[in-house]
Amino acid sequence: MILLHVGVCDGRLFLWGEVPPEDQVISEPDVLPDLPYAAKANELASAAAEAGIRLYAKKARALHIWLPTQDGVALPSSPLIAEIPRDDNKPTLTSWRISAIPLSVKDAVHFLGACNGKEMLASGVILGSDISFLTKVLRFTGALVAREQFLPGLLEQDGDFQAVWEPVFSGNDAGKLAVLADVMPHVCRALTQNAELVPEKTPTKVISWIMETFVDYLVRLSWLGKPPTRVRARSAGKKSFGSMHDQWIHALRAWNATVSGDSKSLEFLSGQVKAWRRSISISIRTPFRLSFRLEEPADDDASGQWYVRYLLNAADDPSLFIEVADAWDPDKQTKAIFLKYGANVQEYLLTSLGHVSGLHPILEDSLKQPRPGGARLNTEGADTFLKETAWLLQQTGYSVQLPAWWSASGTRKRLSVRAKVASPKMQSKGGLSLETLVDFDWQLALGEEHLSLQEMETLTRMKMPLVKIRGQWVQFDAKAIQEAIDFWKKKGTGAITARDVVHMALGTAQTPGELFFEGVQATGWVGDLLHTLEHGADIEEIPASDKFSGTLRPYQSRGLAWLSFLQRWGFGACLADDMGLGKTPQTLAFIQRSWEANGRRPVLVVCPTSVMGNWQKEAARFTPNLPVLLHHGPRRVKQPELFREQTNQQAIVITGFPLLYRDSEVLHQVEWAAVILDEAQNIKNPGTKQAKAARALKADYRIALTGTPVENNVGELWSIMEFINPGFLYTQAEFKRRFFVPIQVEHSTEAAQRLKQITRPFILRRLKTDHTIIDDLPEKQETNLFTQLTKEQGSLYRAIVKETSTALTDTGDADGIERKGLILATLTKLKQVCNHPAQFLHDGSAIAGRSGKLNRLTEMLQEVYEVGDRVLIFTQFTEMGRIIQRHLHETFGREALFLHGGVPKKQRDRMVERFQQDEDGPLFFLLSLKAAGTGLNLTRANHVFHYDRWWNPAVENQATDRAFRIGQTKHVQVYKFVCSGTVEEHINNMIEEKQEVADSIVSTGEKWITELSTRDLKKILRLQKGAVQS
Amino acid sequence: MPRYYYDDYYFPPSRPRTVKGGIKAQSRRGSFGTTWWGRNWIDTLESFSIGARLGRGKAYARSGQVMSIHVGKGKVTSDVQGSRVRPYKVKIQLKTFRPSEWKKLVKSLREQPFHAARLLAGEMSPDFEEVLEDVGVSLFPKRVNDLKTECSCPDWSNPCKHIAAVYYLLAEEFDRDPFLLFKLRGMTRAELLAAITDAPLEVGEDAKHDDEVVHVPVPITSDAQFWEEGAVPDDLYGDVRIPPAPAALPKRLGKFPFWRAEEALSDVVEPIYKKASVCGLRLFRGEERP
Repeated sequence: MILLHVGVCDGRLFLWGEVPPEDQVISEPDVLPDLPYAAKANELASAAAEAGIRLYAKKARALHIWLPTQDGVALPSSPLIAEIPRDDNKPTLTSWRISAIPLSVKDAVHFLGACNGKEMLASGVILGSDISFLTKVLRFTGALVAREQFLPGLLEQDGDFQAVWEPVFSGNDAGKLAVLADVMPHVCRALTQNAELVPEKTPTKVISWIMETFVDYLVRLSWLGKPPTRVRARSAGKKSFGSMHDQWIHALRAWNATVSGDSKSLEFLSGQVKAWRRSISISIRTPFRLSFRLEEPADDDASGQWYVRYLLNAADDPSLFIEVADAWDPDKQTKAIFLKYGANVQEYLLTSLGHVSGLHPILEDSLKQPRPGGARLNTEGADTFLKETAWLLQQTGYSVQLPAWWSASGTRKRLSVRAKVASPKMQSKGGLSLETLVDFDWQLALGEEHLSLQEMETLTRMKMPLVKIRGQWVQFDAKAIQEAIDFWKKKGTGAITARDVVHMALGTAQTPGELFFEGVQATGWVGDLLHTLEHGADIEEIPASDKFSGTLRPYQSRGLAWLSFLQRWGFGACLADDMGLGKTPQTLAFIQRSWEANGRRPVLVVCPTSVMGNWQKEAARFTPNLPVLLHHGPRRVKQPELFREQTNQQAIVITGFPLLYRDSEVLHQVEWAAVILDEAQNIKNPGTKQAKAARALKADYRIALTGTPVENNVGELWSIMEFINPGFLYTQAEFKRRFFVPIQVEHSTEAAQRLKQITRPFILRRLKTDHTIIDDLPEKQETNLFTQLTKEQGSLYRAIVKETSTALTDTGDADGIERKGLILATLTKLKQVCNHPAQFLHDGSAIAGRSGKLNRLTEMLQEVYEVGDRVLIFTQFTEMGRIIQRHLHETFGREALFLHGGVPKKQRDRMVERFQQDEDGPLFFLLSLKAAGTGLNLTRANHVFHYDRWWNPAVENQATDRAFRIGQTKHVQVYKFVCSGTVEEHINNMIEEKQEVADSIVSTGEKWITELSTRDLKKILRLQKGAVQS
Repeated sequence: MPRYYYDDYYFPPSRPRTVKGGIKAQSRRGSFGTTWWGRNWIDTLESFSIGARLGRGKAYARSGQVMSIHVGKGKVTSDVQGSRVRPYKVKIQLKTFRPSEWKKLVKSLREQPFHAARLLAGEMSPDFEEVLEDVGVSLFPKRVNDLKTECSCPDWSNPCKHIAAVYYLLAEEFDRDPFLLFKLRGMTRAELLAAITDAPLEVGEDAKHDDEVVHVPVPITSDAQFWEEGAVPDDLYGDVRIPPAPAALPKRLGKFPFWRAEEALSDVVEPIYKKASVCGLRLFRGEERP
């Protein structure tokens, strides 16, 4: 594991990193770092490769970094590196030697681009907060360049001149540099070549340098393409130029930016550049911004004149406004403010006012008076100002304040139109469908007021762009209203399908003209349909089929009813209930009903390979009479004809995501009654073969199941919606334009709201914290999680069983200590293999992807992690605990605590305290069953995982009670891992089937197993069919 | 036209020596002086009826024969490359305003900030002439007496083509920066502004560069912000989109003083702004790594 950092030192960016001491490999020392967890150059280079950049370890340099240090020990940036001691003394800064690789601007931009929005680059490559900060600086640079806020310039440094593209921070960007400097982590500027002196560069200087460097690079890059690996410094000198100007514009368009010549002509050029940029320099260095405030006519003002007031707004204090009228001839107080900021405000005012005077005639007129402070406007002028001038002023870099009724779009009264729909009477509900035609007509309204055609025409004749109705100013666009009236007259009434009405109500249909569309007002069954869709309420409850062998909790019945309701109208559904609320039983109850109602056609369930076994087991439990086929493994049917025949007999066909594409030919043969994607986030990327194959499946009905908060992830939403309801969220490109960019990039709450409105009817997500759910939830819910072994685990398992069988036959049925020892040792070995091959082999080898159990745990923790819940994970093996801890560190880049027998008391208490109290404390807490099974209070966790089993419910319950006890406010989910087809499943079954027997025998620990006959023993040890992933 | 004949007889049209990096007129064709005040300046020259010298002066201005121009108070000096090895020295002198005239002018500029504001935006409003009339002065030479020109070339005519070339180029400079007309009349832009705004006069016109921000030292501290970034505001990036018209910023700055390069600056930068903008947007959206 490595935690990367990027810092600035003497005009260069450097990559350095931290590595936990236990992970450090002994290698040739490149430089001699004395920071105990400094990453070595080769580690840095290989971590950087994850971002797609190639760095050379031999280019590394020894640098010094000033780090917070306590009692002579440098504090790591994160507990992932080493434990951070708690000490009330404030740490002091001390310099440490580290190894750092310089980054070229090209590499830096590429690297930060790859790190954008991430906490980790790859498993085990974690990014420091400084990198996260620098990615934002890079994005801001991109934003500035996109908005063309840069200018060519000439930079002098120690007598050398460079032609540069420089960022311009004006208008809305003024002050942004200060903001960035303010939030920059100090570590960015703690690097130095000098071990004796703390770096003194101010954050502002560091940020300016970074932004200047990035802007210059981006502009050149866009023009020149990739830079050469080495820029020849002298080449420009050899070329001859007609003039300094020729040389300057040449250097602006080359990778070598040097401008050479005698000092007099260089100075002269520099002066010309400054003179040319003068007007912008003035506005940049003036610490004020000109601001325009539109004021409504006073109620007692007979003239009805509006007023635009000119104000100066301090760049570093948004609340400080000075009236321009007072700035021409400032009183003492104002003068003091100007003096404090050290600005020639009047020159700035004159320049800016001259600059905007062409935008609106009244602005120009106002300047013909001495000491202008604002401008008067009539209603038409105010309308133009609102609609055009304000925007132009903002575009030119000035700020504008408009009346609240105008700018707050939510409360703005505007002319809107709504559709009124009347449902035709029908004999029976069965005859209704989305294709049924319904009558509708349009209605116009102003705010809440309903307007008749006549009223509208009167208002239009007034020809006033702004009208005051009941004390409220309202914009009145005569043209749009005329359009609406025409539209109304032409097709104010008509008949459309119920499907179009749904589209209209959700806001995905075309509406008349430019007018704001308010929605649909419907009566009768269409109204009921819309109401149910929009509010998800009042769905008639449906009991589960008699054949369904289980009881649905009330909220689960509602889930079933919801699924059936959408199916009834031909809509797909995304069931996104919180983990542990039982999406599988709800779905199985739905399948049971669908099987009985829809002529016994098969349903296809696609899920991750790791949960296929689980599906099979749950189906056997809840819907025992439904025939289930597992389409999986090398012996699965691959001939389309045969497959069709085979599935004909089935109610449920279960397959894994990898086969969705690989076996698409056979899967597309069948017209499925329904397709259900479990863990639907697997198709979150719409361009993947998997996602495409999923969309291409033929089915009457589609369900997506997921435990992640899908509605919050705009990027992933389209793919899932496109699967369940094709075309509903437009094309992907259109979706990107309408929603993704506005929400993700522009942070538009309006677009987010609109998206929510469209998708809400099709996504059902209930949380355990939800009060309507909580009432019918048990306080503790236990679930077995069945997983399969990987191939590697399978062969190790078989080898052990074989060895033991031989040994058992040799020792015979004797009741000897030797036999007991052998059995217990075997059990331990098998448990280790089930846990992870690396635990059995004790070889510290790679972790990821080798254990079915750990894979499943990781998937489940991913869901929990996204929700932000806290988790306890129990294991009886310290070694396994270490493996999981390391794996979680590498996978999540977040600290996981591990409490085992070797942890001293003081440290234990600290762990518990951090887990229970810390605001940003660790989410995952690993505990050894023996060391932590009793006594501790860990009520902040509401998920408990038993990674391996003690086969003693009493012991496990005690461990579970660390979280499930007084002080717990949430419902607790308990998961117990069982490897299917292994000794784990056998013992699990034995205990569950004979609970009362189990209670008595099991209380003695695992000894009872040693008392089984050799025959029974061999039976429970043997690996069964389907235990191993194919 | 005898004079024409005479002219050609003594001074056969000689090929001037080519100059690299001379001041290039930015007008390629047709007339000089695109603003009313630039036009006004040219009109004075063209009223002298110096025949074909006007055309040659224009050609000189376009081909970059003018090697340097210096605009001072009341005086313009310039080097123009003719056919001889040594460039000719051109001098144009104008009467500066009297202090009392300046006083009056400043007073009316203060009363109507509009004019100073437009000047600062690089423009002289047409009704500014009325202001000048009220004060009783003119920025442009009205009478022959107002103007004294000299050239070290052997041509007997004054103005000669070298003077004409400088004259044309000056018109372009006045287009770009009308304050130069005031400088010729005795007050620099800084002096004039200081007088209008009561602000203390800055030392030297370009004394202050925009990076001269006072940097208060911010010591590195070992607190939470050593490792962790503070909260970045949501509106950091602003409204990010490609501007409808490219290169608005350099356009707002107007023309570059006494441009000498072969290519026009706006032709050079405009395509760069267009390309860079797209590249920046991509980077911002994280769509593609540049």
